[in-house]
Amino acid sequence: MRWLEEIVPTGLEPRELARRMTMAGLEAERVEEVPAGWDNVFVGLVTRVDRHPDADRLNLVDVDAGEHKLRVVTGAPNIAEGQRVALALAGARLIDPYTESPTPVYKTLKPGKIRGIVSEGMVCSERELGLSDEHEGIMVLSEDAPVGAPLKAWLGDTVIEFEITPNLVHAFSIVGIARQASALTGADVRVPRRVDLHTLPGSSDVVAVDDVDLCPRLAGAVVTGVTVGPSPEWLQRRLVHAGLRPVNNLVDITNYVMLEFGQPLHAYDRRRLAGGRIVARRARPGETLETLDHQRRDLTGDMLVIADAEKPVGVAGVMGGVDSEVADDTTEILLEAAAFDMKAIRRSRTTLRLRTDASARFERGLDPNLPGDGIARALSLILAVCPGSTVTAFQDVYPEPVLPWHVTLPVSRFERVLGVAIPEPTIEETLTRLGFAPSFEGDGGERRLTVTVPTERRDVTIPEDVIEEVARVVGYDTLPETLPSGRLPAIDRALDVDWQRAVRRRLAAAGASECISYPTVGAPDLASLSGGTFDEATLVGVLDRRPAVDLLTLVNPIQAERPYLRNTLVPSLLALAAENRKHETRVALFEVGSTFRPVQGQELPDEVATLALVMSGARAVTDRFAAAGTLDYFDAKGVLESALGVDTLSAPLVFVAAEQPLPFLHPGRTADLRLGDRQVGVIGELRPDVARSVGFEDARVAVAEVDLRALFAARVTRPTGKRVPRFLPAQQDFAIVVDRSVSADAVRDALAAGAGALATGMTLFDVFEGEQIGADRKSLAWRVTFEAPDRALTDAELVKTRSRIAKVLKQRVDGVLRG
Amino acid sequence: MTFTDDLAALRQRALAALDETTDLPEVQAWERATLGGKGELTGLLRGLGRLSAEERPEAGRAANMVKVELTEAFAGRQRVMAAADLRDRLATDAIDVTLPGRQPAVGTLHPVTEMIEELSEIFALMGFQTVYGPEVETSHYNFDQLNIPSDHPARDVWDTFLVEGEGEVVLRTHTSPMQARVMESTTPPVRVVVPGRCYRFEAQDASHEWAFHQLEGLAVDERITMADLKGVLREMARQLFGGDRRIRFRCDFFPFVEPGVDFAVDCSVCDGKGCRVCKYTGWLEMGGAGMVHPNVLRAAGYDAERYTGFAFGLGIERLVMMRHGVDDVRAFAGNDLRFLRQFAGGI
Repeated sequence: MRWLEEIVPTGLEPRELARRMTMAGLEAERVEEVPAGWDNVFVGLVTRVDRHPDADRLNLVDVDAGEHKLRVVTGAPNIAEGQRVALALAGARLIDPYTESPTPVYKTLKPGKIRGIVSEGMVCSERELGLSDEHEGIMVLSEDAPVGAPLKAWLGDTVIEFEITPNLVHAFSIVGIARQASALTGADVRVPRRVDLHTLPGSSDVVAVDDVDLCPRLAGAVVTGVTVGPSPEWLQRRLVHAGLRPVNNLVDITNYVMLEFGQPLHAYDRRRLAGGRIVARRARPGETLETLDHQRRDLTGDMLVIADAEKPVGVAGVMGGVDSEVADDTTEILLEAAAFDMKAIRRSRTTLRLRTDASARFERGLDPNLPGDGIARALSLILAVCPGSTVTAFQDVYPEPVLPWHVTLPVSRFERVLGVAIPEPTIEETLTRLGFAPSFEGDGGERRLTVTVPTERRDVTIPEDVIEEVARVVGYDTLPETLPSGRLPAIDRALDVDWQRAVRRRLAAAGASECISYPTVGAPDLASLSGGTFDEATLVGVLDRRPAVDLLTLVNPIQAERPYLRNTLVPSLLALAAENRKHETRVALFEVGSTFRPVQGQELPDEVATLALVMSGARAVTDRFAAAGTLDYFDAKGVLESALGVDTLSAPLVFVAAEQPLPFLHPGRTADLRLGDRQVGVIGELRPDVARSVGFEDARVAVAEVDLRALFAARVTRPTGKRVPRFLPAQQDFAIVVDRSVSADAVRDALAAGAGALATGMTLFDVFEGEQIGADRKSLAWRVTFEAPDRALTDAELVKTRSRIAKVLKQRVDGVLRG
Repeated sequence: MTFTDDLAALRQRALAALDETTDLPEVQAWERATLGGKGELTGLLRGLGRLSAEERPEAGRAANMVKVELTEAFAGRQRVMAAADLRDRLATDAIDVTLPGRQPAVGTLHPVTEMIEELSEIFALMGFQTVYGPEVETSHYNFDQLNIPSDHPARDVWDTFLVEGEGEVVLRTHTSPMQARVMESTTPPVRVVVPGRCYRFEAQDASHEWAFHQLEGLAVDERITMADLKGVLREMARQLFGGDRRIRFRCDFFPFVEPGVDFAVDCSVCDGKGCRVCKYTGWLEMGGAGMVHPNVLRAAGYDAERYTGFAFGLGIERLVMMRHGVDDVRAFAGNDLRFLRQFAGGI
């Protein structure tokens, strides 16, 4: 904030500035006083240092902090008379320097005795103040620190952290932020001091560019007579507040200028550059570079590098090399400032998996005119910080300078886009304050606006960009609220989705609750469904069976063990059911979601709307009416029948014993759902061992999966209304004895055939096996409803029907009518 | 004994017996024993035929009077007994009405489903059709057609799941690909909303979920303005949160809109004064929006000079969280019945 105020004195409170910037598109993510705390910490002058009488390593120090004059005990080796130090009084909250915790642990200072001598306060290290990790000695303040002043007033600051969206690279610096603040507040920008590049001794032997496409500009300056050492306190402090670690004066200055102007720079130790010059070129096959983070990097031919006469010394725009790094004994440097192709930098850092402050700026597309400002500012700082240093050579390779461009638009476009006209003077004033040069021409309705765009605003290229620039400063709260006028498009309802909605509601009404689970699966979900083992050859799926290797696979799954996009909902839903079963007596869950089936020769998979159902536990929640028993196959079948069986389909939906039971299902308790010849679903109970291994203690876990898309496709008609018969129906019961192997559906079909059109309803109400009817026989009892639309049925008719039924049952299923 | 004496004795006996009946079955038994086909009175009346012609009319009249009297007495007694019987039944049938009812098992819809359906209905009222798109999407639609070319830093904003294979296939990072797909297949006017699941490679925490739902909105025509965008969003907020809501636009960047904004609605819990739900800001941040970028219109084959459009996207889970005070997004994928049941009555 101090830094920003120096450049643009807005006079605003930090939070108010942050709010106004956020509304205009520069989102302030955080406003924070730094460092936190610091109450009861003052600038103190060390007036006297005595040895502690009982301890060699401790000193007794008199500190004068204006109102407070204290004697404190310290172990700091660097304490000396005349120093200005940070004096903490009792009550100050300081960071505990001795914890290893990554987040600071605070403790409150209390007066105490050290080796028998009362210490009324403490002189602080940088670590205790949260300024750095330094804890070898106390922090010594510069001589101009005002004795007695709160340390906060002298060193504290407010840090505003802005989120810089990819379009805002022009604001990725203090100066850039200052320009935006200026546009919003009207305060003038005072650009920091820079050397005049024209006054420097020109040279043609500092830099060279081999690949102008990837490096449109490369500027270099040779500075001799530099002394490497710590940076001035103010500079270090600003870096720390910005989250950077001070290194040495030269490196700090390059970082400082990167923060201030947004231009990354690099300083090379010139003695370690073969030939004493640098060139921007593509890396050659086999070249490697040890970067500043001490990693040996393999370079590829599409990477731009900065090289000396022999080898790469830096990955352009990403990170420099260790060999040419500025060291304590460096006396001569080559300072580089460049413009790089944003896509090339992005490629390099993606390949190297190396994201740096520099690459973050370059890959957003920096203004090629910025290196001039950047190097000029850095040189001005170096000359100031290293007395006796001189710039001996400067070269700027910039064959095709980028010039400001123009965007032209009808003034009426503002109203077409925003819905409200903006007065020309407002447009003009706003754009001017933002650094644009607007001009108007034409008359009446044909007024046109031409905006000259400064080169730093690479994000402004089309009329809409200009409109946004004005709108965001004028403020969107002035926009009116209207509803769209004009024509309405014809609307087609998504009938399949409407039907899925109905199915979901029917399922909920039938007692199942909807889940939405994750679409990724892997060994943890699939192994227990495939006999405990799982590899790429394991067959996976319910309606779509295929080896795991043929499933859609994520390159970067969120959980490494779940890389596949599911082709069945069952595993995920089973896991949710088992989890819920831990605290529920009854669990009935369903999911309607996409399953993904890769299709050979097709870029995208087939996404199939699929329904899964899992039921387990008590049939009813325990209450005084509780229906006995536990949920099983028939509960799940009933739910499916009530949710899906009410639709009018092109063929009846039938359950037939599965010919090839899925390996995880009980072979005697599983069925295929068929629609004509087509299998549209599977239902069954888990094998007991599988149920246990997926986390159920229940003996019975019913599951089902249905292809909803296929069902919807077969939904041919909406039901036709029929007149309700005027005559009351007759009901008769039929107990039919058949061989045990005959399926209920076969008996029902025979019964229906025998009953003919008069039978309008059939309900199976009893299944009985026992000695009375013979071994291997069973009795199935149906209640059949007979009615005719035009008459009351006579006893004679019913008797005749009954004998026909007996005949057909005998013929078709060898059935005998009982009683 | 004469017939008349017999009749008088029977009458007396019968009336006395009727008086002694105590419930409806006894009354009915008395009726059978007295007035029924094999009853006493019926038996006596058969004796009329044996009387002389002179005696018969008088005896007949007397017998008939007794029959009418006994029949009426029976009806009266039956009414009394039936009333008593009903009284008894009502008394013994009384229940404790505070005992719990028989619960049919009823499930719930997921709150995300409910919110999507509600939003679809709200937007349908404003003429928007709900359409759906694939979750596995080409980078062509997920990025290129939305003015996010490869190598563009904007691609990093979406941490994308990549699908193995030849082409560049991803899990869609937003519902926006349907903007391009819809525009390619229709001519203006366009008004659609696209609900659906999206995926971003993000670490999970209370407010971040790698698989989440969005609803995208798109309107394109010759006279669509940003004021329309604000009006439509305000209408949605009014329907969702009730009352007269305000919409706040803040400048923001999304490559497929220009100008781009993020939008918030004033908190309906505290009316914008600041509370726990809006984290004391007075505003609930809903999503991103803006005017469809001319490059997006052109990529879909639209005349960017003639047509303008707006687009917006909002997070479904976020919306449920804001409206219902849910403080952890992970609850939605957790699918714990104890969470799901809270929305059994709809959301």
